[in-house]
Amino acid sequence: MKTLTSIFIVLLLGLATLAQTRNEVLIKNATVLTAIHGTLENTDILIRDGKIAKIGKNLAAGGSAKIIDATGKFISPGIIDCHSHTMMDAINEGSLSVTSMTRIRDVLNPTDIAIYRALAGGVTTANLLHGSANAIGGQNSTVKFKFGHPIEDFMIPDAPPGIKFAMGENPKRSSQTFQPGQTPRYPRTRMGTLEVMRDAFVRARDYKQAWDDYKAKKTKVPPRRDIELEPIVEILEGKRLVHAHGYRSDEHLNLMLLADEFGFKVATLQHGLEAYKIAPEIARRGTGVSIFADSWSYKLEAYDSIPYNAYILWKNGVVVSINSDSDERMRRLNLDAAKMMKYGGVPEEEALKMVTLNPAKQLGIDKRTGSIEVGKDADIVIWSAHPFSVYSHADMTLIEGDVYFDRSNDIQKRPEIAKEREALEKMDINKAPASGATSPRIPSEKRTEERDEAEYGDNR
Amino acid sequence: MKFKIVLLAVAATGLFAAHAGAQSFAITNAKIVTVSGPTIESGTVVVRDGLIAAVGADAKAPADAQIFDGTGMTVYPGFVDALTNVGIQPRTAAAAPPGVVATQLTPQANSNYPVGLRPEVIAIDELRGGDAQFETVRNAGFTTVVTVGRLGIFNGRSAIINLAGENVSGMIVKSPFAEHISFTTVGGGVYPGSLLGTFSALRQMFLDAQRLQEIQKMYAANPRGMKRPDADASLEALFPVINREVPIVFNANREIEIVRALDFAKEFNLKAMIGGGQEAWKVADRLKAQDVPVLLSLNFPKRTTAASPDADQETMDILRFRAETPKTAAKLQQAGVKFAFQSGGATTLLDFFTNAGKAVENGLSRDAAIRSMTLGSAEILGISDRLGSIDTGKIANLAVVKGDVFSKDRFVSSTFVDGKPFEQKLVTPSTAAGRPPTTTSPGAIARVGGNYSITIEVPGQQLTGTMALTQQAGVITGSLQTQLGTSPIKDGKVTADGFSFAATVEFGGTQVEMHVKGTVAGNQVSGTMDSPQGTVSFTGKRNP
Repeated sequence: MKTLTSIFIVLLLGLATLAQTRNEVLIKNATVLTAIHGTLENTDILIRDGKIAKIGKNLAAGGSAKIIDATGKFISPGIIDCHSHTMMDAINEGSLSVTSMTRIRDVLNPTDIAIYRALAGGVTTANLLHGSANAIGGQNSTVKFKFGHPIEDFMIPDAPPGIKFAMGENPKRSSQTFQPGQTPRYPRTRMGTLEVMRDAFVRARDYKQAWDDYKAKKTKVPPRRDIELEPIVEILEGKRLVHAHGYRSDEHLNLMLLADEFGFKVATLQHGLEAYKIAPEIARRGTGVSIFADSWSYKLEAYDSIPYNAYILWKNGVVVSINSDSDERMRRLNLDAAKMMKYGGVPEEEALKMVTLNPAKQLGIDKRTGSIEVGKDADIVIWSAHPFSVYSHADMTLIEGDVYFDRSNDIQKRPEIAKEREALEKMDINKAPASGATSPRIPSEKRTEERDEAEYGDNR
Repeated sequence: MKFKIVLLAVAATGLFAAHAGAQSFAITNAKIVTVSGPTIESGTVVVRDGLIAAVGADAKAPADAQIFDGTGMTVYPGFVDALTNVGIQPRTAAAAPPGVVATQLTPQANSNYPVGLRPEVIAIDELRGGDAQFETVRNAGFTTVVTVGRLGIFNGRSAIINLAGENVSGMIVKSPFAEHISFTTVGGGVYPGSLLGTFSALRQMFLDAQRLQEIQKMYAANPRGMKRPDADASLEALFPVINREVPIVFNANREIEIVRALDFAKEFNLKAMIGGGQEAWKVADRLKAQDVPVLLSLNFPKRTTAASPDADQETMDILRFRAETPKTAAKLQQAGVKFAFQSGGATTLLDFFTNAGKAVENGLSRDAAIRSMTLGSAEILGISDRLGSIDTGKIANLAVVKGDVFSKDRFVSSTFVDGKPFEQKLVTPSTAAGRPPTTTSPGAIARVGGNYSITIEVPGQQLTGTMALTQQAGVITGSLQTQLGTSPIKDGKVTADGFSFAATVEFGGTQVEMHVKGTVAGNQVSGTMDSPQGTVSFTGKRNP
């Protein structure tokens, strides 16, 4: 009996040791920008099973831990882009004014090379949004860029669901060219857009009532499940976050008044180039704003902006994030955050929060990511220099403790890939046909998705 | 007495008919690949009354049998193309008389859904009987195909047919076989106009079908006090699909498309199959776990764009995809995923066998390759009790092949479809099996120049346009004009029976490269326009 017990204890100890040494990563001796508790010099971070286990000096790890020496380097939380259309095989369902039935999850493509490039810019998490062709657009996906994994691994399991709303020129189709015989889509004005939204909420209220009646056995026949109205009911119940594309402050204010009327909170005003004009009204409602750092005037309704937008909003207590809305700009959001120190003088940590903790708050995932804190997911970027310096680049990007981008590894692999390309191009199957070929597209890559170009475009 | 004579006459007619039907054939001294059992190095297959009457090394040809000397030949079960659109007529009649809009000829469909979202479409309504139209396919060795249109999100319900018969009812082996879905859009600014909408529209339709079935049952049980449910033909066509009585084939080639199909099948508990599956090896584990067979395309991806120093490099993803596709079959075999070969819309059926040969070069066993176009296919299609192997009592579908079936010098000397023989004469070595005979003598150049008025069949709408072609010897210049604008034509050439050229059109804000092929007969023109978005057909006439 005694022997048995001792064997049991030995086993338990063995298991405990295993658990302790399992999946440990120790990053040593870095300057850590925590994005919540200031900057820590010469600091180690111990990661265990994907979570930040300890932050401190001279930390020890189990024998099998992966050790990363970060002497002279800077660490920030993984960057979060609160407005992106990357890795999507379709952006807009432009046919209807309400496309709440569409789900970005259905069209995600985990092999999009833009994901890897975003990782190389230190981005670990993104809010993938439907385009802005509709008053009420599709359901978003909040993902981590676990490049190389199957799509289901990208989804953050406890991220609250969201949905795209849009106002202004895009949903009223002011830039649309009509094909012969095509009827212009309602709405054609800003007031029409608001009416479409109100109408949807009224329909959703009736829909919910029909189901409530059925569940209370007041009716015999089950109502039809309507996947257009279900997500709108979720908005009314406070379960789904509204991310509202818009430029003019009057429109964003109108939307917030509509939300007041129906009893929900708008999660984020997206773009919000004029948000500085209504900062107190936004702050009072606890609504977030996600903006570009300093770009405007690319369309008529985008003229009245200033680079001090973020500063004024921050001063008024609004949670502000800086987004990219572009595969290309996503890779330098650290520099967009740095600009906020220049315009108005947002403090360094507050500026960093605008691409880390603040978007995490706006997306409802700040319990698990967005800052370097014990207990949070180890979503970490190791930078060669201070991330607000134009000379810095991401050396390593980790998500939940796993390395998804490693610059030295990337550089090492390049000759290998070049060799593979050469071999592949020599294969018959990859050679250009001798005759009957179509002309190549020159240049093949059109720079879409810059600012909100991709948003009002027709279906892709 | 009179009565007796009438009786006699009836009897005589009956006898005659019986005699004609019972005509028998024997292929002697041939190598017989039975597929179900060991290969017989030299033996006889006896065919009588449409069925295999006897097979074996010792089988005797009956006295009344017409003998086919099989010396040096190999007899296979007739090959099966597990997914094609052979025999399907375009949904709008191409041969509309002048002044009649083609749609007037087709009956009005009373569906609540736009064209392209109508699962009730059924292949047998779009088929025409008659042996002649299947000659090319039969001459390649095929006797049975799964056929369905390729338009729309719902391609419709397919049919398994044997490739001979004077009427459609006599050709059908099984109908409907499956419902078919492509992840495409309906176009024309109508919902769903993007992949996002496609999934949502499908999801809503399947939910609506589930509910309609439930409510119809409630109503049938007790109609009193209940609003009469709709009789919706589109949704009702989905009942057997949601009840798992009819499989659903998702056309999906790339990994992510297959994953989406599997996710959708799981969401609604459907009996799914993958049509295409070029990258299926990447999801072999899931295919096996969900017990989803693959109708595996042998239309391997090819580079179609010309080389140009100004163009961007092709992506590694594309280069690797083309290199890996011939290995898919072997990898599926190793993983234990069931698959049947299909032509995948290949422009020439020769690719089917040549590419099956490439799959063998890349690790698939020869037996498995043969199986995947005979008995293995029949098993997946649920018809292996009646065809797919050379066994007594099965349908006499046979392919008699000279030379290695996977090699270029293969020649199908005859096929038997439902016991009916079709012989193919080996004319010249250049007229290989599967290639339709061309009537144009070499050297003669067709005259194809002129102005054409054309109608382009884009799913959900019709575009009209004109083509102005100027011909100088074998070269064509000119322009293509449609509602999308005017585009100059490039690389214009005169072909054996028409012309081909490339053009760039702007559509929905992007530049779309199209490759146009036309066949000219008199002043009639018909053909196809290939683009990365898919293939559409056009018809028209040359203006005097």
